[in-house]
Amino acid sequence: MNNRARVGFRIQGVGFLGVLLLLAMSSTAQELGPAMKPGDAKAGTLLLRTAKGLRPAPTVHTDVQIEVTGMIARTTVEQRFRNPSDEWIEGIYVFPLPERAAVDTLALVVGGRLIVGEIQTREEARATYEKAKKEGRKASLLEQERPNLFTTSVTGIGPGEEVRIGIEYQQDLRYDQGGFSLRFPMVVGPRYIPGAARVGTARGTGWAMGTGAVPDAARITPPVAPPGSGSKDSSLNPVRIRVELDAGMDLARIHSPSHGVRIQSLEGTRHRVELADPSVPAESDFVLNWRPAPADAPVAAIFHEEKEGEHYALLMIMPPDPQRAGEERVPRETIFVIDTSGSMHGESMEQAKRALRLALARLQPADRFNVIAFADTTRKLFPHAVYAQPTQIDEARSWVDGLAAEGGTEMLTALQAALDPTEEASRIRQVIFITDGAIGDEARLFSEIRKGLGRSRLFTVGIGSAPNAHFMAQAAELGRGTSTLIGQLHEVQAKMAELFSKLESPVLYDIELGFDVRPVETWPERIPDLYLGEPIVVAVRLPELAGSWITKGRRGGKPWQVELALEGGQQHAGIARLWARRKIASLTGSLYDGADPKTVRNEIVALGLRHHLVTRHTSLVAVDVTPTVPAGVVPDTRALPTNLPKGWSYEHVFGELRAREQNLPPAPNDVLRMARHAQHLPQGGTPAAFLFWIGLGCLLTGAWLARTRRTA
Amino acid sequence: MNRKLGALGLVAVGCVCLAHSAWIPAKARLAQLLLAHAWERTQAEGVDVRPWPWADTHPVAKLSVPRLGIERMVLAGISGRTMAFGPGHYDGSAQPGTADNIVLAGHRDTHFAFLRELAAGDEIHLEASGGTRQLFRVEETQVLHESQASVMEPTGRAELTLITCFPFDAVVPGGPLRFVVRARAEKILISLR
Repeated sequence: MNNRARVGFRIQGVGFLGVLLLLAMSSTAQELGPAMKPGDAKAGTLLLRTAKGLRPAPTVHTDVQIEVTGMIARTTVEQRFRNPSDEWIEGIYVFPLPERAAVDTLALVVGGRLIVGEIQTREEARATYEKAKKEGRKASLLEQERPNLFTTSVTGIGPGEEVRIGIEYQQDLRYDQGGFSLRFPMVVGPRYIPGAARVGTARGTGWAMGTGAVPDAARITPPVAPPGSGSKDSSLNPVRIRVELDAGMDLARIHSPSHGVRIQSLEGTRHRVELADPSVPAESDFVLNWRPAPADAPVAAIFHEEKEGEHYALLMIMPPDPQRAGEERVPRETIFVIDTSGSMHGESMEQAKRALRLALARLQPADRFNVIAFADTTRKLFPHAVYAQPTQIDEARSWVDGLAAEGGTEMLTALQAALDPTEEASRIRQVIFITDGAIGDEARLFSEIRKGLGRSRLFTVGIGSAPNAHFMAQAAELGRGTSTLIGQLHEVQAKMAELFSKLESPVLYDIELGFDVRPVETWPERIPDLYLGEPIVVAVRLPELAGSWITKGRRGGKPWQVELALEGGQQHAGIARLWARRKIASLTGSLYDGADPKTVRNEIVALGLRHHLVTRHTSLVAVDVTPTVPAGVVPDTRALPTNLPKGWSYEHVFGELRAREQNLPPAPNDVLRMARHAQHLPQGGTPAAFLFWIGLGCLLTGAWLARTRRTA
Repeated sequence: MNRKLGALGLVAVGCVCLAHSAWIPAKARLAQLLLAHAWERTQAEGVDVRPWPWADTHPVAKLSVPRLGIERMVLAGISGRTMAFGPGHYDGSAQPGTADNIVLAGHRDTHFAFLRELAAGDEIHLEASGGTRQLFRVEETQVLHESQASVMEPTGRAELTLITCFPFDAVVPGGPLRFVVRARAEKILISLR
């Protein structure tokens, strides 16, 4: 009886447990439902957080038309902002323009009407724009953030509406190695922002906060769309480009190393160039090169314009070819500096390494050299420059092969190490700086170059699909060297060979210009040393176009001089603006020399207002006369994402920021732990249920035991 | 007498076990509350904030599934101690906010119990410190053996991998099966706070 009762209770107990178990299971065991259809958010739409939750960002389409006459290009950029949301919004788009672009026109197209922008000081323009925004009018504002980085703001874009704005600028083209080159930058590379984050100072919508070194970080770091977020047919921020090329001479070759193009020959010396793929995502700078037929290669050119009683001219002169027998190769000291920061990861790093290997191969035993690599920290291959003996070259080569791209871009210490004045002082000293220039603290670097240059010459080599051309050019100008931009892996060999043959033979130095008429204002004031294949290009303002201009210099140790008559040439609108733009660049540069910021600012404002130019201190603003935004509606502010440059790896750019924030390499036992975990998937269950059942079991058994004792 | 003692002992052990089994989910919930608070301060002040004074971990991301109304604070590391308080970020994988395989692991019966309800097409949001926000869409769910660790390796694509134990209702922890959710990044918002 006893035994039966005990067994019976046990069975009952097990049954009870079983029921509990079933209940517990049914309460939580919801079957995986049928696969859900992806939601209605479209691929390629970027969401931005607003006060009301996530909202789609406006998109922008860009149409570019470039007209080239001789060595001057005029470009019209049309941006079409589309608002995919159901609210009134304001769109802000950060975009790059070429180095030295003189931006003089902004137009807003509203319902078939064209509203042309006015030039105002930056603060006035901002106030005009904000007022229009408040009054519910459509308005557009074009501001310069960096000499090559601009933002357009457009307010009052209605739900589903498209607003078009047009921007125009002029630039003179680079003529080098017997060829012309035109570059249209398409993307803003994420910039490395050094310095500690300063909380709460930034106004803007970018991804970086303002820091001590780069207070406007938030304005120059637009949100970045991840690769593949734009589908093939509706890519994010697509760009169309058309070039009307009138070189004014017979051409031997036209080609684009960056994009597939269709080239059409028109009447005379005219050509039309279009992208083969009519609409490409903005992820790689567009480059177009053309080369005159050898007999037509220009040796001198004059473009001029008369404006308000004054004459402006753009002068170009090509020194005769120095290929003569008996010119000896001068032994040099060459310091190579290579950027190994995270932004270089991928194709850029391969390009840089390849460039460096080529450079090492060209060194002669009489040359001295050193290699410096930098990311978060700066590392020197040798403590001091060494003679380029085969063993040293081999050592350098394997050191370079082992470099990996990771970490931040602390360029300042690398620059200081490269310009270190303690190195031997008797020979030509050339510093070759290989980087993508993805930095935000240009000003500190420029001032360091000014201070520390000494007898060194700085040559910048821009790597990657979207190098920071402004930094490259300005650093090289301050460093009295040149800058070379390499966009594609297959260009490395040719471009580096060009650069090195240049460096091995400075053609003309101590250059001075003289004019018969007075007063003359020339920009740049100081003409840099000339290397093989480079012309002298200056912009001048003079009372009349008469007399002659004399170029003096030294070549191979001997004086050299050439005199040309200042007459004829081609009349061309916009030369005055090019002159003003160059003067502004020089004025800005003088700040690193310790010029009074207030004086410089006033001069820039005066130049900007007089020549209708967008500068650091003047902006263009266009306002519609009639209000269109419904009363009481305040447009939401959206930043427009820019595409990540081609070849940039997302993880390394943004991974780098994370690593910096945390600033903690994994401790050794962490690494071990990670290795152990990596062999097995982590465990994901607590003993809660187990404990529950054990506990319940014990409790029930105990209770039962106590009870049977009493009854027995 | 012996029998009585034994019975009392069993009752006592049972009570301790039950209390502990109740404490585990309670702790998991309480920790999430404290973590959410720490996260808010992390985001506002830009520094890592410890959720409680003796904590050996800190929140690195906020994971949410809007459809299910789920919000979870993700902790650094996937040690057992960490995972008692919240799902952990496997520190050998990509950091939240970056564009490679981000691996998170959690307990099937607490923080990651909702994984069983995820289906292809579901949206998962991940907010990293600094305000970067990623939107992932579930591609597939699968049951794997614990030795199939390749799902934790970098893929070169912006992805999110969520791992928990399987089956969800197993009583004894430590089984060899894992439930794995794979989601593909669709959008990223890098915002300034």
